[in-house]
Amino acid sequence: MMRFSQVYGRLRRKNWRQYALLAGCCFFSVLLITAYVCMMRAPTVLNVLPEGGDSRKQMMMIFALVVIGCGMFTAYAASLFFRNKSREMGVFLALGASRQQVKGELRKELALLSVLSCGAGALLGAPLAWVLWQIFRAVVVDTQEMALTFDPKAYLLALAFSLFVIAVLFFQGGRSIRRTNIIDIVQESRKSEPIRAVPRWYGPVGIFLLAAGALLGYLIPSLFITVFHWYPPDGFTAIFYLPALVGLYWILLHTVVNGWRRKRNRYKDLIATSMMRFQGRQTVRNMLVMTVLIAGAFFASFYVPMLGTGAAHGYESRPVDYAYHWRADQDIPQREEVEALARQHGVTLIDWTMAPAAVLGVDGFAHVETETKFGITYTKEYRELLCGDVVLSESAYNALTGEHIDLTPGTIAGIMDDEGSGEGVFGGEATRLTNMVTGQTMAVTPVEPLCYTMLLGRFVLDDGDYAQITQGLTDIWRENQVFFNVENCGETYDFAKALFNEIVDRSGPEVEQFDAYDQVQEILANQAGEPYGYARENLEGEGYEVIDYDLRDSSNFRLFWKYMPQFRVLDQADFVKTMAVYLVLFLFISVVCFAAVIVIAFTRCMTIALTNAKVYEDLKRLGAPRGYLYRSLRGQAGRVFLVPALVGTALIYAFYAMIMYFNGNPAGITASEGMGMAACMVVVAVVSLLFFGVYRLTLRKACQATIDKN
Amino acid sequence: MLKVENLHKSYQVGKTTYEVLKGVSLEVKKGEFVAVMGASGSGKTTLLNCISCYIPVDRGQITLGGQPLAKLGEDALAEIRNQKLGFVFQDFLLLDGLTVRENILLPAIIGGSAEAAEEERADQLCQVFGISAIRDKYPAEISGGEKQRTAVARALINQPLLILADEPTGNLDSKSSRAVIDTFRQAKETLGATIFMVTHDSFAASFCDRVVILRDGVVWRTLEKGSGDRAAFQDLLLDSIREMGRE
Repeated sequence: MMRFSQVYGRLRRKNWRQYALLAGCCFFSVLLITAYVCMMRAPTVLNVLPEGGDSRKQMMMIFALVVIGCGMFTAYAASLFFRNKSREMGVFLALGASRQQVKGELRKELALLSVLSCGAGALLGAPLAWVLWQIFRAVVVDTQEMALTFDPKAYLLALAFSLFVIAVLFFQGGRSIRRTNIIDIVQESRKSEPIRAVPRWYGPVGIFLLAAGALLGYLIPSLFITVFHWYPPDGFTAIFYLPALVGLYWILLHTVVNGWRRKRNRYKDLIATSMMRFQGRQTVRNMLVMTVLIAGAFFASFYVPMLGTGAAHGYESRPVDYAYHWRADQDIPQREEVEALARQHGVTLIDWTMAPAAVLGVDGFAHVETETKFGITYTKEYRELLCGDVVLSESAYNALTGEHIDLTPGTIAGIMDDEGSGEGVFGGEATRLTNMVTGQTMAVTPVEPLCYTMLLGRFVLDDGDYAQITQGLTDIWRENQVFFNVENCGETYDFAKALFNEIVDRSGPEVEQFDAYDQVQEILANQAGEPYGYARENLEGEGYEVIDYDLRDSSNFRLFWKYMPQFRVLDQADFVKTMAVYLVLFLFISVVCFAAVIVIAFTRCMTIALTNAKVYEDLKRLGAPRGYLYRSLRGQAGRVFLVPALVGTALIYAFYAMIMYFNGNPAGITASEGMGMAACMVVVAVVSLLFFGVYRLTLRKACQATIDKN
Repeated sequence: MLKVENLHKSYQVGKTTYEVLKGVSLEVKKGEFVAVMGASGSGKTTLLNCISCYIPVDRGQITLGGQPLAKLGEDALAEIRNQKLGFVFQDFLLLDGLTVRENILLPAIIGGSAEAAEEERADQLCQVFGISAIRDKYPAEISGGEKQRTAVARALINQPLLILADEPTGNLDSKSSRAVIDTFRQAKETLGATIFMVTHDSFAASFCDRVVILRDGVVWRTLEKGSGDRAAFQDLLLDSIREMGRE
């Protein structure tokens, strides 16, 4: 005697491939999201990526893309599953099963399938992240700070995504049974997904919207900040990217439905084009998801070459091999000691320049921020004493740089980088200087800024003015700056490391400070009775890692110690180690995104091929040779794989170039950015080659499953 | 057995409403074998779907075995479909994962009554329709005619009041079509089944006791076979269809 549930079980066994596909998709989505979340919330990563920093924002942004991608992919897999299942559900209902009866069985199997697949995905997500991370550690770079630890709270996000997947399955299952018309349910699996007529102008207008959205999304937030003095919430500014998404959808729709070329022989690709056209919205949505994920993956993978090339160019273009500065009250090695150390390491110094500098109070406009319901607004308020800046005399500047500037008394020049950009360090224009010991002030007139990257952010005064305003300064307000060159710089790593260690060992706790620490601002904060965020004791509370001499090889120390020396050979050799967490994290993100793209593309291609298997049978009967069938299948698989790859790659490359262009002040692409973009092009070529390989494999698989089946 | 009174049904496509049935009335008596014919779009399949309770009606009344179907809830309608109606579809709608015998038993399984008696009845039906040899095969392993005979046996497993058949010979060659019609006749004669069949095929319809011809959503004509022979009745049907085409 057979029961209804047994019949259901028999059918489940018969259609196990459909169940396996759905379970696989759910498992894969949850696996990727869990792995990503574990990494994103790992203390290892959070400790290195500064809160509110660009890297963390990029990581979050790509996470949002992966969630959307995996979410849509799961919804697609579920809809495919229920389309295939609709026939048997329709037969049950037609033969008198009540909806409750069918729903009950469906619920049971969905509960089992979703809990098992999502559970397995969530369970294996962390080990996957761990294994990938360890592989990168073994193959790419390994440092002490890369020891991976996970935050159990990350699992809450993975759980939330699993619940979303389960909800999607139940919602779509319920909807497929709820329809009132049984005939519709029975015929669901045979229905194509129609796309309404798509005008040809969708293509060009789509491109325009894409470009406009990218420009608006990128530029409008800075417009709000500079013109309206308003920091809008991140979610709000994301709205301005929406035209780009609509444009992208239209481009893909136009590509699938109309194609870009007006062909002379309209019958040449008739089968592939018309079959794709009636695969409908789902295909276009899948292609949209893939395009966005490819863009996200490349965005993450560009991080490494951009950073690497930029840094390499920066180190290479330094005019001096060794540069360091220290507060005058510190006992830091000077010429004799450095030369002795150099001799020990067989290094010969070519030259040596040491020049004094002073930390003076500088006036300027403070950003006074007010929190409102609609984000943070700010007003600019002039302060006679705003912050402290390092000031050099013109003769010190000339000695260090080899230039011959002669400033008029009463003027002051800021120093920008070699390409005339401030890089966020340049303090702007100063008109009033204050000696923080004597209280003496001096009015100055800003003149054309100077360009010298190694002294970026400092100011230069006329010698007489410098002598006058720095009179009476104690050692804690004075600094020394040293530049020197060595013979065969590339072979002096051991010396560089020894000197670096010596400088760190001899620096006192009073200068164990974060890069943004400013003595003047600390005094002002203390006078106002407010805590100073960059004070050592407050750093952790502000989301920064504390500078620690014992962790001198960590990226935090190397990147953010206020008195970090600039030794070319040390920086070059240790770059990968210093940036290890950043590099590996973004490598991890791009691998996750590319994996998602490959799985989605493979699944979609195979389902298209299998759905259309009957058409290929018919074409065979009509006498179509294998070559014709192959071209037709390639026409479809090619669009699913290659169109998103082409569009996504071109889109992100153009977007990246736009960011580079608008990033600097003045707008333009610098030499290092140009080199970075060239390195990104190499990454694009390599990844595209890999992607093409996967496409060929998928095509072969699809051929085996359809045209070579019999 | 079945009474349809002033049945109206329309479909909404975009902003346009298409009225498919415009007041159809007809009656089928116990043990009758009735066919509905008509051109494409005349409303045959819609009428069958309304009687099957697959789609709701706009207006009118359908009574089955004295019970009006209009106000029944979903579960009651499901029970009617399961216990009082049997279905034979044009494309058979057999489930590929079940054997012929299990497919035949499916309505009984759904109704929760697949006991030994039903299993025995399924075997009897297999014998009656000549499919005993293939009863353990799967649908993918049998011919179209065998599939349709399996579908007829499935429709009869719960001893329904009425069998509804939608173009049962539509997908079959002439030999298989004849076999299916013979199956219906056999069901009517040996099992006392009442059959309501929608068809395009005048040959299949000529085996029926009565043929209702629909045109543009209304009953245009009803033809009785009476005691005359089948060929003459088919000629009458063809003449009527030609006449309808001329009007």
